Amino acid sequence: MTVKIRFFARFRELLGTDILVEKKSGTMLATLVKDIALEKKEGYDAIFDANGNFREFVIVMRNGKRLEPAETATVMVADGDEIAVFPPVAGG
Amino acid sequence: MLSERELERYKRQILLFGEEGQEQLKRAHIFVAGAGGLGSPVSLYLAVAGIGAITLVDNDVVELTNLNRQILHYDRDIGRKKTVSAEEKLREINPDITVKVIDTTIDETDVDRLVGRADGIVDAMDNYPTRYLLNETAVRKKIPFFHGAVQGLYGQATTIIPGVTPCLACIFPTAPPKEVFPVVGVTPGLIGMVQATEVLKYLLHDGRLLTNRLFIWDGLESHAEEIAVERNPACPVCGEISPVKPPARKKK
Repeated sequence: MTVKIRFFARFRELLGTDILVEKKSGTMLATLVKDIALEKKEGYDAIFDANGNFREFVIVMRNGKRLEPAETATVMVADGDEIAVFPPVAGG
Repeated sequence: MLSERELERYKRQILLFGEEGQEQLKRAHIFVAGAGGLGSPVSLYLAVAGIGAITLVDNDVVELTNLNRQILHYDRDIGRKKTVSAEEKLREINPDITVKVIDTTIDETDVDRLVGRADGIVDAMDNYPTRYLLNETAVRKKIPFFHGAVQGLYGQATTIIPGVTPCLACIFPTAPPKEVFPVVGVTPGLIGMVQATEVLKYLLHDGRLLTNRLFIWDGLESHAEEIAVERNPACPVCGEISPVKPPARKKK
């Protein structure tokens, strides 16, 4: 099955975007994103904390629907899913 | 009623909004929280559009490092209070409106009084703690809240209608880490314009607001994106409040 990962803003700078991933079914969302992010340490560290969990402020969406960071460890991705990972910005 | 002078000043936009629309803008009171990167373009454009009353709050002094983006303040203003500098520019650019500036820090002791009975709150802050405070105030008073934030060439914006749309705490339950953020003036310029456009549309009951959607601007790619956002029924800020009637749409 194929899943598309879209990174935004700083995450895109570090990891690229619109990444198509071939995975066997049953893969958890967090695992999928982690595998891609691991290709670049800086990118991984920006998104995940020392325990390998999504940093609290990171917004994760699956097909336009927001997921709680904790849910991402138990939600399985499906063929055709689009996963968006977005860092909110703070300046003014 | 609009004066002869106002009819002339706003002639080109009265073609868009009608005299009735222009009068609605004149009757409006908008609270702008911050006179920095976002607050500068927002307040300038709300002023020239003829928003009748603008309250602008900031506690800072103009520094040289502000001037790459905070276009309300000029080189000669370095060392002056931002409120003094802002008031001067806004009065000069449009003497036909009322500008009130308040030199203070927005905190839980004064936010209620500062916001007063404004028709809208513009988020032009540079930190999430104050944003959350303004969001709570907006929800409690049922005042629309126009969110914007920037970093580098990235920006985001959304329009919050308490009781109807997700509030800031629904969308961002956890603040991103505090840091000295890189920024170039064009980004708050662009996001500020999204916010100011939303204020006008809201006041004029026209168009489709940026509600239930987070607008994301990527200036490096020149790409805009939006993601759908939803209310969190368990939101500690707005989860309990009942829906309010959305603004009536303008009859065509």
